Amino acid sequence: METTFTYKKNINLLFAVLILIGIAALIAGFMSDTQRTWNNILLNNYYFITISIGALLFYSLQYITNSGWSALIQRIPMALGAFLPLGALLMLLMYFGLPQVYEWAQPGITETDKLIAHKEPFLNVPFFMIRLVIYFVLFLSVAWVLRKYAKLEDQSANLNYHNKSRYYAQVFIFIAAIFFSFASKDWIMTIDSHWYSTLFGFRNMVLSMYYGSAAIILLLLFLRSQGYFEKVNEAHFHDLARYLFRFSIVFGYLWFMQFLITWYANIPELTVYYYPRFIGDWQPMFYAELFINFAIPFVVMMSDDLGKKPKVLLGISVLLMLGLWISIFVQIMPGAYGPMKFGFIEIGIWLGYAGLFLGVTFMALAKSQLVPTNHPYLEESIHHHL
Amino acid sequence: MAYKHIIATFKDETVLLKALTRLQENKVNLVDIYGPFANHDILKKFTRESRLPYMAVLYGLISMVSIFALMYYTSVIDYPISYGGKPIFSFPPMVVIMFLVTILGTTILSVLTFHGRAFLFPGKPTKIIDPSVTDDTFYLVVDQNYNPDEIKVWLEESGADEIMEKELNT
Repeated sequence: METTFTYKKNINLLFAVLILIGIAALIAGFMSDTQRTWNNILLNNYYFITISIGALLFYSLQYITNSGWSALIQRIPMALGAFLPLGALLMLLMYFGLPQVYEWAQPGITETDKLIAHKEPFLNVPFFMIRLVIYFVLFLSVAWVLRKYAKLEDQSANLNYHNKSRYYAQVFIFIAAIFFSFASKDWIMTIDSHWYSTLFGFRNMVLSMYYGSAAIILLLLFLRSQGYFEKVNEAHFHDLARYLFRFSIVFGYLWFMQFLITWYANIPELTVYYYPRFIGDWQPMFYAELFINFAIPFVVMMSDDLGKKPKVLLGISVLLMLGLWISIFVQIMPGAYGPMKFGFIEIGIWLGYAGLFLGVTFMALAKSQLVPTNHPYLEESIHHHL
Repeated sequence: MAYKHIIATFKDETVLLKALTRLQENKVNLVDIYGPFANHDILKKFTRESRLPYMAVLYGLISMVSIFALMYYTSVIDYPISYGGKPIFSFPPMVVIMFLVTILGTTILSVLTFHGRAFLFPGKPTKIIDPSVTDDTFYLVVDQNYNPDEIKVWLEESGADEIMEKELNT
């Protein structure tokens, strides 16, 4: 069994090319449409932070549920979480584009807009940045501790490290559940600063695990195609497929919950969010979000046998990566930018971020062991079957 | 004349698994396995294709379509009332009811189908192969193939506790 990951140097070259495309798209964006570019930067920051947080939530969940089956693949979510420090840095850079994205950050808006003036004690630039720093200090410190104990466990077989990991997994779930919900509200919901939804933060926090699982499946399938993880069998795929199936139902449920209440109450303060999305240019995107994230995974994963096939999982996971993008696109753009525009800026910036994200992830994978050889549940995981 | 089956008993499910593998390699016609608890390995080796999931999907679709038809008939055709300025035919509030009735219909109809197919009904007298099947013994029932003597030898070699020939009354 291969326990360390080594990758060819030309893969780094591919990431470099992707990042260069991203930089080209950024330059092209800043030359033509600054506001759209800043919105795309926020979109992609949030996209990859969601995947990182979701993967770490998956990692923590395996610890607090004492799951044996996943011990073999636990380093994959850990590596996906390695983007967080970089994500924090990129999110801090948003400081320079705040007025381009957030209505409430524009100077002088409080004089003309009474509602924003009322919300001003909370929605102001210094406090926004302070909150942003607090979120990341909390996420990063616990993620760092989790990583530390994972590495210590690799060096010496000591059950103590496992117990410590389990303890800090609880802490991480607690922190991510509260503060990623708040972060989602802060970064995404306040774009439509006249609108609010109490469900919004919870929904985005829970669904981060949906996309985290999809990213784990994609990385696992890639590593398997390179000859690692030959011990991962049908039962592991089946369990991962169950994550997708379960969260597709959660997606449908939460999406509809938010929509139905707005539709039923029909209060102008609330419908202001759905009006531009439900009618006009955004309608195809609005339905595509529901269709890609809920309908297709739900119907496909309903079959027990299809979930065991790596090719089906690959298709659904790739679809979900697109689904997450559309989901955030629909959440950000109508409020922050207005018209539906999709072009090189969107694709290029996403590619650049993807290159960055994958580069960091691969570096993290190569740094530590690929298989946690001292994990107490490793044997159980290798012989996982049902 | 009653038809007799070869019945082998096992105290250990791993031994049963061995015997099962042996018989399946020789393409022996197995009838059924009775045991005190479920075992995934045995289920995997000796399984019958169940058509119940397909029926469940069908029931789900039927329930969904029929409750939609009922709601459409009542709220649009038969008794259209405008509530709160909403259109007469409004889909969102129907979704919740469709969702719940789909689950209800699927569950009830599946239970009925299962019991009908397995000839189970309240008050049916229990017929079990032997009282010890509820305690600690697995029973492997094999059809009388063209080579009953050979089958008995295979069973004995795999470590069956007891091999008998009797008619099945379950």
